[in-house]
Amino acid sequence: MVIKLENVVKIYRLGKVEVPALRGINLEIPRGEYASLMGPSGSGKSTLMNLIGALDRPTSGRVYIDGTDIARLNDDQLALLRRKKIGFVFQQFNLINKLTALENVALPMWFSGISRSRRMRRAKELLELVGLEERLHHKPSELSGGERQRVAIARALANDPEIILADEPTGNLDTASGMVVIELLEELNKLGKTLVVVTHDVEFGKRARMRVKLRDGMIQEIEGVNHA
Amino acid sequence: MLDYLSFSFKNLSHHKVRSFLTLLGVIIGIMAVVSMISIGSGMKASLKEQLEQLGSDKIFIIPRLAYGTAATTLTDEDADAIERVAGVAFVSPLYSVAGDVGFRNERKIVKIYGIDPEKAEATFGGGASGYRLLKGRWLQRGDRYKVVIGYGVASDVFSRDVNVGNTLKIHGVNFDVVGVFKKTGDREKDYTIYTNLDTIREIFGAGDKVTMIIARIDKGADIDLVRLRIERMLEKRKGSKENFFVMTQKEIIERVGEAYRVVQVVFGGLAAVSLIVGAIGIANTMIMNVTERTREIGILKATGASNAQVMKIFLTDAAILGLVGGGIGVALGYLISLVINAVAARYLGEGVLTTTVTPELVLFALTFSLVIGVVAGLYPAYRALRLNPVEALRA
Ligand SMILES: Nc1ncnc2c1ncn2[C@@H]1O[C@H](COP(=O)(O)OP(=O)(O)OP(=O)(O)O)[C@@H](O)[C@H]1O
Ligand SMILES: [Mg+2]
Repeated sequence: MVIKLENVVKIYRLGKVEVPALRGINLEIPRGEYASLMGPSGSGKSTLMNLIGALDRPTSGRVYIDGTDIARLNDDQLALLRRKKIGFVFQQFNLINKLTALENVALPMWFSGISRSRRMRRAKELLELVGLEERLHHKPSELSGGERQRVAIARALANDPEIILADEPTGNLDTASGMVVIELLEELNKLGKTLVVVTHDVEFGKRARMRVKLRDGMIQEIEGVNHA
Repeated sequence: MLDYLSFSFKNLSHHKVRSFLTLLGVIIGIMAVVSMISIGSGMKASLKEQLEQLGSDKIFIIPRLAYGTAATTLTDEDADAIERVAGVAFVSPLYSVAGDVGFRNERKIVKIYGIDPEKAEATFGGGASGYRLLKGRWLQRGDRYKVVIGYGVASDVFSRDVNVGNTLKIHGVNFDVVGVFKKTGDREKDYTIYTNLDTIREIFGAGDKVTMIIARIDKGADIDLVRLRIERMLEKRKGSKENFFVMTQKEIIERVGEAYRVVQVVFGGLAAVSLIVGAIGIANTMIMNVTERTREIGILKATGASNAQVMKIFLTDAAILGLVGGGIGVALGYLISLVINAVAARYLGEGVLTTTVTPELVLFALTFSLVIGVVAGLYPAYRALRLNPVEALRA
């Protein structure tokens, strides 16, 4: 299992009020799986994705990423894990506006200490892979939403991670460019990456082999898993 | 390292207005510091120079003024008596008066010094006083109705230049100009007319009164002891020591020095204030910078940046702002100090105030702006770092 959650609880504290976002999640996602995560707004999808992506720590329970429990890691070790194993794609793209597409894609490789010429070469290859070879030196503000999301996907691939996490990657896109993005992600899954996609779109959700339904911070149903 | 620099330049040039304003804050602060400190140290230097120029072998005897007039009078006899005091080498009596002086059809009030040419030369001999002739000759004993004029009187007081051979009408009496002094840089000296003691006293009906006596002591004599002897002797002659000052050169310079010190404290204070203002300016923009970039910090962390790497990114920004702003500030401060020099030379006289920008000052200013920039950027960056990536991304 590349992703394994045991009794994961996440409680947000707003002053004295406690907001339980996840209330005991048990979930295993095998290597190379294509999983979709669905559920009503506020059901805890993003919270769960942030834990899998090592962006946050659980209140209790264990989150194993490739065998490592993230609750035991310090900030630097978390950063290293994110850098090596995780590629995150956000609904709001989260590109850096002052950098060009090429520089945005090269950024995670900078943190890994890859030389400038090597990371520029690889960033260019990745942008070609997502079909943006004509947009290398455009800034995010000069790109369409679909193009921005493709830059974000290229960035997620920069350090060749095992896991691609996409939290509503099509949420800000029209149907056509949403389709392009989903197909691109599926392509990566076919190349061997573990893919987890959060989506509100039932059609997109159905395309995944493993379908997880969340409700009120708990797993309501998992479809498509062979228990044999 | 190069990557951090290029990332910073991208960031700073992306936020041009904000970067410019921060830079401006730093520049103004550092500029003020450099120019203020350069004035302060320039004053110190010129005071030191004056001290050295004057020497330390003269004693001044001046009547104390009460209600604007001298409470006692000193006379030629007092001067002779002082000359007889043990340890006194020469004595030069002086009668000074502000008189009305006519040149062609203009009339001005000018300060006139009546002196004994030979005694004055003996007392001030060796060029230590800064007087040097530009044209003509110095006064001689027995000269009647002759004057030597300071550079300012020659060139500035009247609408036309006064030259050797011209005639000045002092208190209605004609005097020939026989010499003109070079500019000394001392306003007091440059705007004075010098003539023979007896002639001027005659014209103003001053009898044998003098307004100041300057005594030069024997080489190697103890100046404080000689001063005390003169004081005792005059006390006996005049019946009281309340009515005149007997001061050494050192005491006079100390008094002047005190005034300079006050000025220096004032300039030092201004510099301190501008330092603080500069520091607050940098801190303010750095805090703004970091706060506005909380989301960017989230993105950097989500894509794998460690806290140390994010910190380096922000500190590079701050260091660049500090150094570039500091550099420009130092350059402008140096320019201002040059302007002050030019203005001071023009209106106060050559060499009265020469501001100095030392390498130490430049180094100090640059280090200071660098340190302020980094320290001001450190705290907000540290705060932003403590947010986890999820919280930072929500900003
Ligand atoms: N930082 C936070 N502080 C406090 N409460 C939070 C925080 N983040 C999420 N929550 C709460 O936790 C619950 C789950 O939120 P989460 O964002 O995971 O839902 P979601 O399923 O992603 O919803 P959506 O479909 O709208 O994106 C919600 O009730 C939300 O209000
Ligand atoms: Mg969400």
